[in-house]
Amino acid sequence: MVHVLGVQLPDYQYARFALTAFYGIGHKTAHRLCARLQIHDKCKVRSLTPHQITELAAFLSSPSTSIPLPRMPLASLSYKPPPASTPLAVLKEETKKLAKKAWADPLRNIKIESEARRVVKDNVAHQRMIGSYVGKRHAMGLPVRGQNTQTNARTAKKLNRVDRRG
Amino acid sequence: MLTCSVRCQRASRQLFASSSTNPFVQTRSYASQPKKGQVVKQASQGFKGKKGALPGQAEPAKKDKKMAFQPLPVSQLPHPLFESDRPDTLSLQSFHPEMLTRIVESQALKFPHNDNDPFRIFGLPRNILVEYRLLSKPCSVIRSVTIDAINKLDAASEKESWQSRVIFTGPQGCGKSFLLLQAMQYCNARDWLVLYIPRATSLVNSTTAHVYDMRTRTYLQPVFAYQTLQRFLKVNAPKLEQLRTQTDLEIERRPAVPADTPLVELINIGLKDQGLAPTVLSAVLEVIGKQTTFPMLLAIDDFQALYGKSHYRDQHFSAIKSYHLSMPRLLLEYASGRKSFARGAVFGALSMSNTTFPLPLELCEALSLEYDRPYGPYVKRSSELVKYTHRLEKLAVPNSLTIPEAASVFDVWMKDRAVPTKPNDELFLSKYSEASGNARAFVWKGLLSSIST
Repeated sequence: MVHVLGVQLPDYQYARFALTAFYGIGHKTAHRLCARLQIHDKCKVRSLTPHQITELAAFLSSPSTSIPLPRMPLASLSYKPPPASTPLAVLKEETKKLAKKAWADPLRNIKIESEARRVVKDNVAHQRMIGSYVGKRHAMGLPVRGQNTQTNARTAKKLNRVDRRG
Repeated sequence: MLTCSVRCQRASRQLFASSSTNPFVQTRSYASQPKKGQVVKQASQGFKGKKGALPGQAEPAKKDKKMAFQPLPVSQLPHPLFESDRPDTLSLQSFHPEMLTRIVESQALKFPHNDNDPFRIFGLPRNILVEYRLLSKPCSVIRSVTIDAINKLDAASEKESWQSRVIFTGPQGCGKSFLLLQAMQYCNARDWLVLYIPRATSLVNSTTAHVYDMRTRTYLQPVFAYQTLQRFLKVNAPKLEQLRTQTDLEIERRPAVPADTPLVELINIGLKDQGLAPTVLSAVLEVIGKQTTFPMLLAIDDFQALYGKSHYRDQHFSAIKSYHLSMPRLLLEYASGRKSFARGAVFGALSMSNTTFPLPLELCEALSLEYDRPYGPYVKRSSELVKYTHRLEKLAVPNSLTIPEAASVFDVWMKDRAVPTKPNDELFLSKYSEASGNARAFVWKGLLSSIST
């Protein structure tokens, strides 16, 4: 089992699916996260390297402050790679010169766990504060979006409140 | 009913037979019966319950991950249900390169069974694997196009590989993968070095690790390169022991490999450190490309998968093109003639039944094939892919089997008790006509789906 930021990721699951265990991460965000960390689609959590797990934890702890990744240069048809004995520093220097500026990264704006729950809570609290219909329905613990209340409405009665956890 | 019971009997016998007669043993972890005292968790707790173990109940025991589905040996199957009323009548001649002439056209030959069988070690395409699990012996029918392919291989053994880059084309189910398998077996029997990629889709469908490399500016696939090296060594070990490097070779993170090093030693460097496997594989193929002792066959099934976008994504979520992945790029360079073996050939087989990786326009135009979507001069072609399809030669596999070839196929399946009824001309001709002579349709939709008694 791998624990990342308090969330348990089972070993036997695909990493792309396991990341959806985080509150605020769905399948699309999980796919983007895996692409960012160079995790292939069929990689299981037990196959993740310690470096990948550390990067994942570091990124998820603060997505907005993560370093933007440059676009790495890719080999053209006629590219002949330098010999394998080329020092790493030289390769890094050349790559840095050819790397292009990063595009806007949607992953930097994601909110997970407590931050995501706070957003939901703040939205509901705002609706209550301005005295809107949505706020009143949350306060009464009834459905908000025009659903039937004569029957059903069990989920709304259970979960809807002003200080909703999310 | 009789048909169903006999088929079940045959299937169960195949399934439970010892691995010595049927090498295609599958290992899977099926759900085991709950042990005594083990509680099976409910899938759904309903509206009120929480997901997780119910209060007061023990957590279910962990599954035994090491359990595998192992077939029983024949000696442990004394029940009369497993006995057959007909003796085993499938006796085929062995696939020997010397006997492959026009005389043996339309005859079924069985592949030899030894420890270093290339298709056992490299693997097989899915369709062929499923067929060989049903047949008692891996075999194939020699067709006229087989002899054509073998003649091309004989000519290619004295030429550089860039002059012999042949792609098998034809509609789905016509026998391209089987033909490639026959070509590979022929080369292996003729003391060629053989590298067979049975499913090129697995290079591009994001199932193995990938990591960006600053030196090559591509995404390396160390796991796949490692497995390829391992299999290549196992199949070709006796020949590789005779080869040595001609020049010093530089490998990352270690001293250069001096000239005159045995090639097996170079391969073992890649096997010890998976991170070095892509560089070692590339170096090994370069060394083999310069030597003239043994010709080399590079055989790739699902060839069209190398010419499209892969399922891999880069760090900005753009699809990585296949020629930016190390393994497909290596194969494309040999397939396009940019790199060459001093003696040998590159053979590929298209797969028309894979809709995830369809035939791209550039490959269709290079091989003069019909493209199944509207296109014209204003449809963009990738210039890189056009260069990678440069002067590929097409070998069209006929859509339909000839009557003698179909009769051999029918004979093999009948003698292997695929259909419970006795073989007769009416059944043969009816199934042949229904399939229009297409090999896969004849076997799968004709013979194996038949309920006639």
